[in-house]
Amino acid sequence: MAAKADAIQARRATGFARKDLLMTAGIVVVGAVLFFFGRYGADPGETAAFTDQELGRLFSLPSQATLYALAGLALLFGGLRLFRSLGSLRSVLGWGLAAAVVFAFLVWVTSGTSLNLSGMLQDTLKLATPLVLGAMAGIFCERSGIINIAIEGMMLTAAFSAACFASIFDSLWMGILVGVISGGLMALLHAWLSIKYKVDQIISGTVINILAAGATRFLNVRLADPAGMSAPGKFDPIAIPVLSKIPVLGPILFNQQPTVYLMLILLVVVQFVIFSTPWGLRMRACGEHPRAADTVGVNVNRMRYLGVILGGMIAGIGGAYFSIGEVGSFEDGMTRGAGFIALAAMIFGKWNPVGAFGAALLFGFADALQVKMQSIEPLLPFANVPIPPEFLQMTPYILTIFVLAGAIGSAIGPAAEGKPYEKQ
Amino acid sequence: MAEQRRPSGLRARLAALPAWSRLLLLAILVAAAVVLSKWLILLLLVALGLWPIVLLLGLGVLALLSRGRGGWPWMKGWLRGRLRGLTLPGLAVLTALVIGGIILMVTDKAVFEAMGEGKIFQGLGLAFANWGKAYWALYEGALGNPVRILTAIGRAFSGEGLQPLLSAVRGPSDTLVQSVPYIFAGLAVAIGFRAGLFNIGAEGQIGIGWLAAVIVGFSLKTLPAYILLPLSVLTGMFAAGIWAGIAGWLRAKTGAHEVITTIMLNYISYRLSEWLLCGPLENVQGTCRSQDIAEAAFLPRFLGHPVTVHWGFILAIIAVLLSAWYLFKTTWGFELRTVGANPHAAKYGGMNVAKSIVLTMFLSGCLAGLAGVSQGLGITHNIALGFQAGYGFDSIALALLGKSNPVGVLGASLLFGVLRAGASRMQSMAGVPTEIVQIVQSLVIVFIAAPAIIQSIYRLRKLKREETEATVVTRGWGA
Repeated sequence: MAAKADAIQARRATGFARKDLLMTAGIVVVGAVLFFFGRYGADPGETAAFTDQELGRLFSLPSQATLYALAGLALLFGGLRLFRSLGSLRSVLGWGLAAAVVFAFLVWVTSGTSLNLSGMLQDTLKLATPLVLGAMAGIFCERSGIINIAIEGMMLTAAFSAACFASIFDSLWMGILVGVISGGLMALLHAWLSIKYKVDQIISGTVINILAAGATRFLNVRLADPAGMSAPGKFDPIAIPVLSKIPVLGPILFNQQPTVYLMLILLVVVQFVIFSTPWGLRMRACGEHPRAADTVGVNVNRMRYLGVILGGMIAGIGGAYFSIGEVGSFEDGMTRGAGFIALAAMIFGKWNPVGAFGAALLFGFADALQVKMQSIEPLLPFANVPIPPEFLQMTPYILTIFVLAGAIGSAIGPAAEGKPYEKQ
Repeated sequence: MAEQRRPSGLRARLAALPAWSRLLLLAILVAAAVVLSKWLILLLLVALGLWPIVLLLGLGVLALLSRGRGGWPWMKGWLRGRLRGLTLPGLAVLTALVIGGIILMVTDKAVFEAMGEGKIFQGLGLAFANWGKAYWALYEGALGNPVRILTAIGRAFSGEGLQPLLSAVRGPSDTLVQSVPYIFAGLAVAIGFRAGLFNIGAEGQIGIGWLAAVIVGFSLKTLPAYILLPLSVLTGMFAAGIWAGIAGWLRAKTGAHEVITTIMLNYISYRLSEWLLCGPLENVQGTCRSQDIAEAAFLPRFLGHPVTVHWGFILAIIAVLLSAWYLFKTTWGFELRTVGANPHAAKYGGMNVAKSIVLTMFLSGCLAGLAGVSQGLGITHNIALGFQAGYGFDSIALALLGKSNPVGVLGASLLFGVLRAGASRMQSMAGVPTEIVQIVQSLVIVFIAAPAIIQSIYRLRKLKREETEATVVTRGWGA
């Protein structure tokens, strides 16, 4: 408390908070880096061409000039952030800055060659899908007051059972259904441990993660793989009749595998249910102030069970995305930490599905870009070596740390999270 | 508690000696232990392999001692005092092993086939037989075959040399070797728990420590052993400490939750090591493995093949003692525990909470790093892709099982060492995937973290309050 009071005092005295100054300094550095890339990373006459697989060339930009312009834009945002009267626009400015940096990076990568932009955006949406689903799972769980670091375990379980049952029933849709059920069952275990037995919710989540990693591998080696049950094949993209013919936007949004559509539908539904229905209000009340919710007649623990299980079921779709949506078979530990990145996307998006969607798109884009860069291999200025792909794979993780360190002050989760509720 | 007992005659006489002579005595004892280390370790391995006999001998000695102090009631009280804290962990491990066995039985394909043909009783018999075979392989792989050890001892005394004995105690030796990284990593998590920090990043810190130690070990080949070995151990340790310290610093300065930051640091370290091992550090194209370290950087082994126990085990024991001393006998340790128990009170009491958090994460990382160091310098002598063996995640179970007490962690690590050493033999002998151990371990965490489950299974009413209280490490995502 004392530290907070000091900070407020300091802001009154100087007009700036220290954090603001740091952020601004960071933005200035970003602008300088963009200038540097523009000056030394791209040759004067070079252009960056962006194409589409059907329409051919969409547009091309002179790379150096574009990079300079984007650097100027970044500096402008940095300056605007300092005006306190624009405080309400900060998150917009933040997203604008992120977009400018991402686009500048894209221009630098493409400089002197061409890039299939719409194909890449299609990949971005696809790669963001499990992250959005995981983040929504986390939102359901945490809005009702239970911390959920078990998204990874729920997704892994679902990935395995979806693959197994898809080959047993010889139907990928059955695979999704069983994935949803198994995700829900893992969530039930999490809810049971943390609500009934009041196990520390982070420990309970860790248990789910360890159990899922061990159990899926065990069952895969002992039963599923020898019986040939772990490779059922995968969904083909389904083109939605009329909509997929829209130029540029059509292939991106309407020619995807079913889990992507499910994600988009759920995104709208979950956002509506949590923030615009009385039921959603009650659920959020359980996460913010369970005693108050109890007083007006909400059964807090039942609400929490529901929130966790619904979350687990959504995570189940995210798990099915990996095995029967993307790869076509189950592999050990195939979620590769997506559950944790989803968690970061949730925090990034301030426990709000649409915000989490934005964050997930950012992470998905970094992933798609990294795949592209392996073929283009742009050279770093001066050093003249390509950036190793592993470093690009690190970006979502590093970004997550920065987001947590920078945003946690402004993004505070549901107040009663992590505390078991005892009726009095 | 040891401090509360009346000092015995020997202890009082020792305490009366001047400090320098006590130090001298200690030095002589240590020197003797170093000189005799080979034989002491062999004795330890044999004792582990013949633990039922050792247990009976111990009870016999206790009975002899109790004759002068009131007989059976005194002995009962003494035993109860030692075993009190063990009821819950013991039952938790037992239950987890039984459930693991049931999982083995219901996933047994041979049993399915027998059942499918209508031979239900044969199927059941087969299930139990396979279960027994698997768990016997587990036992033999971890603690050796007692009969073989006894005959080997006989042959050693009849002048046939030590080799049969060495191969007979291979099981106990594997157990100790496996428990070394467990001890370090378990201590790392336990120290964090004491300060209210949940270090899930032990896995990544192990990797960083391993990597740094091996890099020093092969790049400074010209140095003599007495410089190179400590240098690579310390480099690995501090590298991991700083790696974990990042998470501690972020937690203290910005409130970013260490659970997420350490997990993210894990993934960053995996990618980093992938790049290093398949790129700049790769020795032979396509192997994704570094070159071997200089022989001067090896952690020496005590005995010949196939006994691989190395000096890392001694380091681990020292780490246990030092952490216990740090936690319970120093001011910093007291601050650490206060911050863990109640950060607000710690702040009100004038303690520097931020310093405590950063320091604790640093120490935690150092300990986890030593786990990697001991593997790299003691066992593999290089580092290859896919070195992560899950020690970091298992260590959470260890810290819970040992109640975040260094000595408890030592016991839990030996137990997990048994499971892990036995698991590989179980796989080769009975065809059971080693991952069953992972399932058993997660069940152990569940039962330890939720004592009410064990309580209701065994209808225990007498568990002490402190034992039934669930460990609490969570304080939300904020500060």
